[in-house]
Amino acid sequence: MITDRTYLWLAQAFYAVSCLITVRRLRTGQRGPGGQRLNYVVMTIGFVLHTTFLYLRGQHLGRCPLTNLFETQAFAAWAAVLFFLLIGPSYRVSFLGAFTAPLVLVICLAALLSPIDVLHAQPITRSAWVEFHAAIAIVACGAFALAFVTSAMYLVQERQLKTRRLTSSFLLLPSIEQLDVINFRLLIMGFGMLTVGMIGGMVSYRIVGHWPTPKIIWAAVVWLLYGTIVLARGLWSVRGRKVALMSMASFAVMLVGFWGVNLLHP
Amino acid sequence: MNLFLVGLNHRSAPVEVRERLAFARSGLGEATQLLLGAASLHEAAILSTCNRVEIYALAGDAGDAARAVRRFLHDHHKLSNSVDGYLYEHRDDGCIQHLLEVACGLDSMVLGETEILGQVKDAYDIAHQAGATGVVLNRLFQKVFSAAKHIRSATAITRGSTSVGAVAVDLAEKIFGKLGKCTVMVIGTGAMSEATARALQSRGAGSILVCSRSQERAEALAGQLQGRAISYDQWPSEFPAVDIVISSTAAPHPIVTTEKLVPLMKTRRQRPLFLIDIAVPRDVERACGELEHVYLYDIDDLQEIARANRAAREREITACQALIAQHRQRFVHWLESNRDAIEERYRRRVASTAFTGPAPTPAA
Repeated sequence: MITDRTYLWLAQAFYAVSCLITVRRLRTGQRGPGGQRLNYVVMTIGFVLHTTFLYLRGQHLGRCPLTNLFETQAFAAWAAVLFFLLIGPSYRVSFLGAFTAPLVLVICLAALLSPIDVLHAQPITRSAWVEFHAAIAIVACGAFALAFVTSAMYLVQERQLKTRRLTSSFLLLPSIEQLDVINFRLLIMGFGMLTVGMIGGMVSYRIVGHWPTPKIIWAAVVWLLYGTIVLARGLWSVRGRKVALMSMASFAVMLVGFWGVNLLHP
Repeated sequence: MNLFLVGLNHRSAPVEVRERLAFARSGLGEATQLLLGAASLHEAAILSTCNRVEIYALAGDAGDAARAVRRFLHDHHKLSNSVDGYLYEHRDDGCIQHLLEVACGLDSMVLGETEILGQVKDAYDIAHQAGATGVVLNRLFQKVFSAAKHIRSATAITRGSTSVGAVAVDLAEKIFGKLGKCTVMVIGTGAMSEATARALQSRGAGSILVCSRSQERAEALAGQLQGRAISYDQWPSEFPAVDIVISSTAAPHPIVTTEKLVPLMKTRRQRPLFLIDIAVPRDVERACGELEHVYLYDIDDLQEIARANRAAREREITACQALIAQHRQRFVHWLESNRDAIEERYRRRVASTAFTGPAPTPAA
């Protein structure tokens, strides 16, 4: 039976193909734009299918599809792919897809395979503010996911340069300066959107009338973590490895908190 | 009718012999025309580079023609001693195989180098303009060019830098990306540091500072590199603005130590620093490489990477040979299926030149 979930499954098939292309490129050490372009096309098809899922689900619900953990995860992964498609070609960052596709695949498969697609886990409140704050906060998570990806790439490249052991992936990875700059821009974008989302949250909680404490604590912790990184990078010019490590750690904290809050306190 | 080649290269002959047999580019077209007549060849092309002199030709009988080509080489270069012992010959399949290997850089001193393809194209263009090529060599060279392009992109034979300077540039690009905003400081003058600085400059490195114990030498090198000479004691003060340091002094002790570097790094606002130490004994204390944002490579590191890249290219030879065999067979197949027509054409041409040529042989 074809449901909206089918489209999400199909999208995963294309993300998986993208992973395979990467493995093949790493094996053969193939350089050049060929594999990169192919990867980009495959990711775009995956993205279109992914969008179709969200659209159908949204049509069905009559609102932004963020009513349960499953939808939220799918939405966050969608935002990560969106950032990849935006950043990949404009910065000419080769190999960004190689790290993005596996992360998105893991997040979506975890969502698809676990029994979390419960209809209306949260009471549906029809409020533009509620939907807006949730959506923008999740898109911020997408930016943080991609910052996590560029940070991982930074650390791999930095390690190779430091230890003077250059593997075949060395040629495919962008320069560490470039990764450092992209990482910072993603962090600023994510932090800005998260801030807007939190302000929106305050407004919407006044409308709804109750304050979900664990979620607010989680959001505040994430906001403080990323705020510290943006401040450290922007004002105290902390750069490179430390920023990459902080970015990855913050993303891990965010992810764990995200599951924790949603599972313990639906 | 045979395709054949007579030639020598860096393996078969020492440089003294190679330079005697080299053809000047300016006279190459004329020489090809002379050769055509002297050895009664149907078609010919001369490839002359610093590492090889090779004559590719099509003739009615390769045995006689090859002997005539050898004689031509001796006569044309007015050689008193025979160089026959240095020359090799390949015929038909072997000739096609050899040209493919040459064009792909498999026969080059630096395995997989790409300059040779341009030189082969050049040689063909000159022969073509001199009217020395015909239906066979035209097709052969065209097919070889596209085969070389195919083999280059389908294998890793040209991948990875194989010289110290080029490896340093690769690393700089992996640290800084585009080198346009990078400032390079050369400490100590020498052929190797100059070559490395030039390599960085050719890939867009911004400004270059030169310092040396001898102010005179620093200014001379700075002049050549269009950089700025600074006095030897001044280098720490210029350090905050520098991204890449090439060090090659004759100092017996390290001149860049962690003690000196730690305070200097604080002034750099955590920008990366690439230290290229090509001096022996080394100029930079090994422990500097442990500092955050510092990337230190000494001459052994760079040579090891170049060696590893060469080894990686060598592992690609089998893959190249497999592709070469395909391209060779395709050409041989074409040649065989058109052999009769081509032979007929050249028979007629020989007959017509004999009849209308400027110096017809008197009828017996």
